[in-house]
Amino acid sequence: MIRQDLIAARKHRIQLQCYVAFIAILLMLPLMLDAFWLNRIATYLVYGICAVAICLSWGWAGILNLGQGAFFGMGAYMMAMSLTLASPDNNPVPQLMLLNMEPTAPRELCCITPGSFLWIPFRWQAVGVAASIIVPMIMALGIGYAMFKRRTSGVYVSIITLALALIIQLIIINNQPLTGGFNGLADLAPLTIGSFEFDPYGNSTYYLVTAVLAAALFGGRYLLSGKMGLILRATQEDEARLRFLGYEVEKYKMLAFCLSAGLAGLAGMLFVICAEFASPALMATGFSVSMVIWAAVGGRHSLMGACVGAVLVNVIGAGASESPLFQPIWPIILGLLFIGVVLVMPNGIAGVFDSLLDRKLRNGGAAASTDAKHVSPRPKTSEAR
Amino acid sequence: MSLSRRNLLKGAAISAAVIQAPLVFRTLSSRAWAADEIPVGVMYSLSGTTAIVEKSMNQCALMAIEQLNAKGGVLGKKLKPIVEDPNSDPRTYGEKARKLIIDDKVPVIFGCYTTASRKAVLPVVERRKNLLVWPTWYEGEECSKHILYAGSAVPNQQLENSIPYLVNKLGKKKLFIVGSDYAFPRGMAKTTKIICQKLGAEVVGDEYLPLGHSEWAAMVSKIGKSGADAIFSNVVGDSIVAFYREFRNQGYDFDKLPLCSSTTTEVEIKAMGPEYALGSYVSLPYFQSVDTPENKKFVADFKAYAGADSVTHAAMEAVYIGVNIWAMAAAKAKDVAPEAVIDNAGGIEFAAPQGKVKIDPENLHTYLTPRIGQTQSDGQLKIVDQYSEPLVPLPYSSQGETAEKRICTTKGAML
Amino acid sequence: METIIIGLSIASILFLVALGLAIIYGAMKIINLAHGEMVMIGAYVTVLATKHLGANLYLCIPIAFIVTAAIGYGLEVIIVRRLYGRLLDTLLATWGVSLILQQLIRIHLGLGLFDIHIDGLGSDLQNVQVPELLRQTLTLGDANIPVYRAFVFIVAILLGCITWWLVYRTHFGAQLRAVSVARGIASCCGINEKRINSLAFAYGSGLAGIAGVMVSGFKTVSPDMGTPYVIDAFLVVVAGGVGHLFGTVASAGILGELQSYVSSILNDVYGRTAVFATVIAVLLWKPQGLFVIRSR
Repeated sequence: MIRQDLIAARKHRIQLQCYVAFIAILLMLPLMLDAFWLNRIATYLVYGICAVAICLSWGWAGILNLGQGAFFGMGAYMMAMSLTLASPDNNPVPQLMLLNMEPTAPRELCCITPGSFLWIPFRWQAVGVAASIIVPMIMALGIGYAMFKRRTSGVYVSIITLALALIIQLIIINNQPLTGGFNGLADLAPLTIGSFEFDPYGNSTYYLVTAVLAAALFGGRYLLSGKMGLILRATQEDEARLRFLGYEVEKYKMLAFCLSAGLAGLAGMLFVICAEFASPALMATGFSVSMVIWAAVGGRHSLMGACVGAVLVNVIGAGASESPLFQPIWPIILGLLFIGVVLVMPNGIAGVFDSLLDRKLRNGGAAASTDAKHVSPRPKTSEAR
Repeated sequence: MSLSRRNLLKGAAISAAVIQAPLVFRTLSSRAWAADEIPVGVMYSLSGTTAIVEKSMNQCALMAIEQLNAKGGVLGKKLKPIVEDPNSDPRTYGEKARKLIIDDKVPVIFGCYTTASRKAVLPVVERRKNLLVWPTWYEGEECSKHILYAGSAVPNQQLENSIPYLVNKLGKKKLFIVGSDYAFPRGMAKTTKIICQKLGAEVVGDEYLPLGHSEWAAMVSKIGKSGADAIFSNVVGDSIVAFYREFRNQGYDFDKLPLCSSTTTEVEIKAMGPEYALGSYVSLPYFQSVDTPENKKFVADFKAYAGADSVTHAAMEAVYIGVNIWAMAAAKAKDVAPEAVIDNAGGIEFAAPQGKVKIDPENLHTYLTPRIGQTQSDGQLKIVDQYSEPLVPLPYSSQGETAEKRICTTKGAML
Repeated sequence: METIIIGLSIASILFLVALGLAIIYGAMKIINLAHGEMVMIGAYVTVLATKHLGANLYLCIPIAFIVTAAIGYGLEVIIVRRLYGRLLDTLLATWGVSLILQQLIRIHLGLGLFDIHIDGLGSDLQNVQVPELLRQTLTLGDANIPVYRAFVFIVAILLGCITWWLVYRTHFGAQLRAVSVARGIASCCGINEKRINSLAFAYGSGLAGIAGVMVSGFKTVSPDMGTPYVIDAFLVVVAGGVGHLFGTVASAGILGELQSYVSSILNDVYGRTAVFATVIAVLLWKPQGLFVIRSR
């Protein structure tokens, strides 16, 4: 038993070193990338944060959220509303409202179009930043409470979140005078904190994203290596028994779901800073499914794996669609990649790495059983329920 | 410890591979520009929902560039098109525009088809002080100095002819406006209401459907019951086909209940089968059937370039206008730098397939000739009404802009 | 009156697409996101058969069934077979399949790369000639009923009946139900589980192909037409209760009528919103869907 603990501890340390190495490499990247690639990688790292959020809810809590785009999009809109008002063209009211107002309406944010007063708090950028995390979390809290109280699980959760995202998307598109409709919000000022301006193409934005990513990775890891991680892992093994033992499983699921939503909102906020626009396209089903796929490719049980998966899939996608040779067939390449990952390495890149590590440790150290997994939950039973 | 170091190295190697990948792709994709070449961005979706139309726009842009090069290029340099596929996704449009401007250092992007995509590209070109040449007719209400709205019709150029045609010529008094749920149809509806008020016609309905929605039964039956005697349609994309088919299937007839569309081109008519659109009207500045020598050459050239069964349509002609006017402005400026081209674009005239077009120096939009076509059984549009002179573009007509009292000027929009 | 008829018509299309999915998801626990692409392929088969073989729409029904069933069979053998019991993985793999199938149509099955173009494929919109009979309109009271929609409705009922008979009244159906309830035990009892699965998947895909023929006559045919259908169908199947044919019928009917009703009194945007909201409400109220098989 002691040996098992020893191996687990050693493995834990190696994984931690990988995390550190990953962040270190990210920190060094600006030395070798030009402005465009810096901005592009920053955007992909934002997707990486999305994948971490998926990993948290899907990989650990078994909640496959097919409407993650709704949380991401809400975060993006909250930030974009704030940055819209910061843009000099949109003073005192956004152009989109001027264009959609009734001729007799007063030209003030309170009442220019129905509901426009909702924008008032976003004059302060701090509100935008805070709301982009809090609003998705509140949404998640509401829907999560309704779902988990009735012990909805598995694919039903996926369908509910999917339908929710579709509703939110429809509402945003339909309320053009308030939200900019299908075209979204594009006339944005850069994020300014104090007198410091975050240039989307500069190092500042890149480091901001990297810092948030690092916080998400280490924070998530810290959280999951504690009691919460253990309980979530146990939930996937045998939920009924855990309940019998007196644990309030729903509470932990809710926590993972809300944290995941908040993280997605945070990613949405960063996306707006990098990409300078928000639109309902961010809430489309296809985008939500892509997030899940990033996490699956990287490894749904590993926070860092999911993040690497997101970056990798996007780099491959961008590269294939930009090279003349692969351009006509790049969706096929992506499709084959997804099928291949599911069939050949169900736990993604991190899963492959993990089993290699296990073998190494066992050969080098002691003849420990494979159960000595400290960090990754491995549901033995099917995920169907 | 040695073990962990080895694995640490492995982790580093994987991460490094991830990071190296973009560099590898970069060397694959970025080419060194010869001194006698000008790179230009060509960005129309080759995949995704709007690829149907954008593919032909891509071909048209490449054809126009090829023709320019055959005539010696621009400023003695050949144009080198860099084609990007934004996958019909606004997110990707922004990303690809960044790549073209920052990585490939193009001085101009010919691209976009939907307003949503333009809005995603807008902040990129504005911030990097670059230039987008935008082709599609759209809802107006924009006044950017980094977009050349070449060949792109705005609501007054599609409505000032068609609404009076419905009201005065066909004697219709009750109009039903139907559109997809986004900015273009809503902008068109605003201008339509202004014009209807002037003409004393009534708007009995103004309804929207989600984009890509293909279930039209409820809407068509609602139109039938509304008492409308004419329909103005701003429906876009795939939905058009389902709309026209449903209209026919419910037993309505365009002879008794005429429909005028601002968006249905030869492409959609071919897709739904001309028998379903027979007799309906379209208001656009260009149809394949326009009878000018320039158009005959344009149609013949395009068929030679893209295949004998390909059709030409308004968005494509606008692309053609855009590439040519950009080249003329660059020649006039003796420079391809975006700002030099923009400064010199105003007032440039071009003998386009639709007839003479001219860039308005105030708002960088285009003087175009409004036309109304009626669908024939061969899928072509017979021109039943056209202006003799190009009409001034007024992007803010929905806000009451007139030729005398401009809202969008060289200084920007004054709302 | 007209609203009810429109609702029935929407419901019949929902049902046609959902029927195949009800078998594939309900009985086999495969989330098949490529189901929409089967609808798409069915529609393209119709386009190609009418263009190149001179077939009419009626004849396309069996052709499309055979083609899509064959593709479904192949898909099951190559990919899906390895994924039983890994529900959410099936979602990812079939999403990949749907990307590939769409792109294959766009690039003319790959021939486009060599500059060979097949009329009827590619990324353009396509259209299908509809027989004269189906382009008429019936008048019933104050309502106009397009014959085409009536035809779709009849086909939906017929296929529903055939499927019911197949699942509940044949030996194959008994085996399928056995496999879906208890995979291992069914195998032990001598049921060739693999064969049953392959056939069921093929049959479900074939039904989607027929749905494709039906929608091709009055909707848009393009490579990405399938995605909205699969999402809608999936909502129908899950809200109706998994593994329950009647549940699928009922939920298609309810959602179709709801969309039609809300669209007629408010507008189509709210119609869609109401459908999604209802699905959420149903699943929160009855987490297993409207109709549940009592098992265990």
